[in-house]
Amino acid sequence: MSVPATMMNELFATKLNSSEGKEKIAEYGGSYVRDRLREVSFARKVIPPEQVTRADCQRSVNHDTLVKIVDIEPQSRAMSITFRGKPTARFIRGSRAEVAFFTISSEMFQKTEQELLAYEMPITKIIEENSVKDIQEIEDREFTIHIEASVQALQTEANGGVSKALKGGTGSTIGSTVEFSVRKGELARTTATTSTEVLAVQRPDFVSLFKMLDGNRLRSERLLMTETDWDDLLNWTVEDFGDRVQSETTVDGYKYNTILGKPYIRTIKTDILRPGNIYVFTKPEFFGKFYVLNNTKFYIDKIANQITFQAWEDVGMSVLNIAAVRKLELYSGDANPSTDTDGYIAAGNFIPLNEEALGAVNNRVDAGLKFPQVSMY
Amino acid sequence: MPSTVQKVNFEPVSDILTLWLRDLPLANPDLANPLNAVAIVDGEWLTLDTNYKWVRATDITSTASISALKSFPCFSELGRSDRLGMSQKKTNCIFRGEFEFETRIFDAAVGTAITFVMQPLKVRTITIGTRNFSGLVGHGGSGDTDAIVGYVTKLPTSNGGKLRFISGYRV
Repeated sequence: MSVPATMMNELFATKLNSSEGKEKIAEYGGSYVRDRLREVSFARKVIPPEQVTRADCQRSVNHDTLVKIVDIEPQSRAMSITFRGKPTARFIRGSRAEVAFFTISSEMFQKTEQELLAYEMPITKIIEENSVKDIQEIEDREFTIHIEASVQALQTEANGGVSKALKGGTGSTIGSTVEFSVRKGELARTTATTSTEVLAVQRPDFVSLFKMLDGNRLRSERLLMTETDWDDLLNWTVEDFGDRVQSETTVDGYKYNTILGKPYIRTIKTDILRPGNIYVFTKPEFFGKFYVLNNTKFYIDKIANQITFQAWEDVGMSVLNIAAVRKLELYSGDANPSTDTDGYIAAGNFIPLNEEALGAVNNRVDAGLKFPQVSMY
Repeated sequence: MPSTVQKVNFEPVSDILTLWLRDLPLANPDLANPLNAVAIVDGEWLTLDTNYKWVRATDITSTASISALKSFPCFSELGRSDRLGMSQKKTNCIFRGEFEFETRIFDAAVGTAITFVMQPLKVRTITIGTRNFSGLVGHGGSGDTDAIVGYVTKLPTSNGGKLRFISGYRV
């Protein structure tokens, strides 16, 4: 059902005068100019969330928080022996790990009933709907930080426990750094200088990325990349695509759900997953867990003429097998946070922006920048 | 009377609904790890750095260190998994608002001894057991230029070893 936005705002304020009215108001309508596209969580596509309840969780004896303890597959092996031989023994032990829960909340929105009447768009409804996606943005940010920490930890282990720069700095070569879980793209590794410039992804880049996972008793199953990196696929030539796909791509764009046989996830959240970073994952069962303890809840209240509302969810996510994710870097600068040879990370490159910096405003209306300039008196 | 650190060291005795509780990242996330020898415990006092992150109000490597800045009490018990579960290890402190709490993170004997009700309090590095904390000590009164962060409402000697105090700033 569609109702005028002004009526929606009035209803919103009126309904809050009764306890029944504090339930979610469902109708909405009206037109307004959107500032940016809001996208659902990409983390949820890599690890589909599982709903858990209090009964699935464990308490602490030290404080009032909950974790869910997850079992890790135990080790086992077979061996060849003679008719008289006995196999070696294994005292069974399975590792366990905790997945901790925390809250992701929207801002606490406040407005007076009277000022709400000054809006023709259903501003409260828009904020309510956007809040869900804002919350999912923070899910993605947490997820991105976790997967980055995972690939860097494994890379450090592969380099003898030493955190080594991958290119960057004087000379800017790969040098002796072992590319075990993080790898530079073909164009980035042959660039003599070091830079934050994101270079186009090449077909061999994907193959090299897959091989980092496929060579370790795991199988690459899903790619995660930004929309801008995906756009570079459109520049692939007939040598990459073959003439049929090249013809299709020229007319319709790249329409397939897979790249080199692997499904991919694209995101426009380039302030969280920064361009030039492409990750590949195994299936979720080899990778980690994403639990939802409480789905998004919406609180709304009105005290006198002051309306307050807030949304939040309680989730826990964890990369339990850090070997199940690998990364491709399409820029020549060093993106290892421990070394940061060029100072590019300190300058705000390669890694997710701070929470407060996410979703920068695109429009410049408040600064008076719209064309033509019209001021009504 | 020496204090002791327990599982819960900082508990409200006044309504917390009106408090402005602020979650901010720790400048050093390792201090959220309960296995860290100098992990931050509830009842310690934190202040802000230039990046809008929490840092300890005092340098706990020096027992003479006194907080020169306004500081805020930590309201997150050691090892809380809601803090450990997120990447930034955000820690909850009481940012503003009036409150009355009981704390175990104090030293009644160091510096100006805590001896009377309504005595002003300040933040200083204190030693409890084998390690140092940013905790409460007595303020010297009019001759003392350090920031006051609260006032004693119940002495530990008559409160089961816990110091009860109300908030109140004066610089």
